[in-house]
Amino acid sequence: MNAHDWYIENQAAYIARALERQEEELFEDHLPRCENCRKAIEEIERDLGWLPMAVRPVAPRPGFTRQITVAVLDHEIRPLWRRVMQPLAIAAMLALVVGLGLVSRHSARLESTLMVTRERLDALSDTLGIMQRAQHILQTTIKGDGYEGGMFIFADNSTKRWKVVVHGIPAAPAGEAYHFWFMCPDGMVKGAEVKVDPTHPAILTLTLPQDFGPVYGASLTMESLSNVSSTPRGKELAHLRL
Amino acid sequence: MLAVSQPTTDRGRNATRRFLSVERESSIRKRLIARDERALVELIDLATPWLLGVTQSMLSDPAEAEEVVMESFHVAWNRIEISPDAEGGLMPWLLRVTRNRAIDRLRSQRRHVVKTRRAEIYSDIGDAITPPEEPNEAGQPGWHVHEKVQAAMKELPPEQQKAIYLAFYRGLTHSEIAEELQIPLGTVKTRLRLAFGRLRGTLATLKEWIV
Repeated sequence: MNAHDWYIENQAAYIARALERQEEELFEDHLPRCENCRKAIEEIERDLGWLPMAVRPVAPRPGFTRQITVAVLDHEIRPLWRRVMQPLAIAAMLALVVGLGLVSRHSARLESTLMVTRERLDALSDTLGIMQRAQHILQTTIKGDGYEGGMFIFADNSTKRWKVVVHGIPAAPAGEAYHFWFMCPDGMVKGAEVKVDPTHPAILTLTLPQDFGPVYGASLTMESLSNVSSTPRGKELAHLRL
Repeated sequence: MLAVSQPTTDRGRNATRRFLSVERESSIRKRLIARDERALVELIDLATPWLLGVTQSMLSDPAEAEEVVMESFHVAWNRIEISPDAEGGLMPWLLRVTRNRAIDRLRSQRRHVVKTRRAEIYSDIGDAITPPEEPNEAGQPGWHVHEKVQAAMKELPPEQQKAIYLAFYRGLTHSEIAEELQIPLGTVKTRLRLAFGRLRGTLATLKEWIV
């Protein structure tokens, strides 16, 4: 028995798929090179072609043959490239939409952040501008029980605005507040409440009062919250004159 | 020539005898190549019960059996050119495509255990592929082929019938059959070789599957 006899012996088993997987692969490698075996296989396939019909037919459930027709023809109508590309295209479009949405949201966030940053920059630029343009820079020490802070005034006459920096003093006690006053010829004019955070200097930008004559100084007082009058009544903590 | 007088495939309908000659089968093949959808409908109508019979006997899952049949018609429609041009070759080719696809499914790892277990359950070949005839099935197109194949099978010695049954209708390999029947591998090969030889001689004369 030579090597080729094995193929001859197993031709029918190959058709029946009774060979083991490795044997089947061996046979498939052999067939393209052996015309005799190919012809023999064709003959056996033809002779045994009806063998599956030993099995009893099974009536299809109602509508199944119609389902097959529709499925096969629908498959035909949509060729392979469409069947593959269409879902890919839909997926790509969805990804694009989602991506654009994310980019759009990200862009909106960036724009918002940029706007805030720009506003802060403008404010810093304005602050620096006042300080740079200040014709008078005043400074005084504020001393109290266990603390020593101070107050700076950068007076910019060109824009009639002052930059006021208060630092190193404790937060106002309950029921009281720090108040900044302009000293004018007709008396003190209320500037603004100074909200103090002991960890950071309080920085205010104040526009000079227009209808009370020239401003020649400023004062920082501690006022009771119940004081709603336009004149200071509390203790003066700092006093500066131009 | 085949005259399709009325559909006969759906259960409950009164099966009418139809005639499919070699010429008619050749005509269906040519029209399939020409993308004639009516030829596809005709083939589906004629072949589905037999293909379902093959797939349901091999696969335990009716839904999976239907899937395999559907795949086979996809092949028939899209790759009809590769079917043999020989006389009476279309139906055997379609049966072969269907059976091979069913075997491919069986041989996936997840099916292996089920396949072997079912082989044990249906080890009585007589019950499995020789069911009691129902009177109206005599009108099923191709029924006479079924009868001839059955007759050819019955002419085989019982041990060869059993080997053929396990190989051809259950999709077992030589070694699996040997294990199933508890006989030497060489004996399995010999039984199958002898059985296939005898069946070839008997079945080779079948040309027209519906006459």
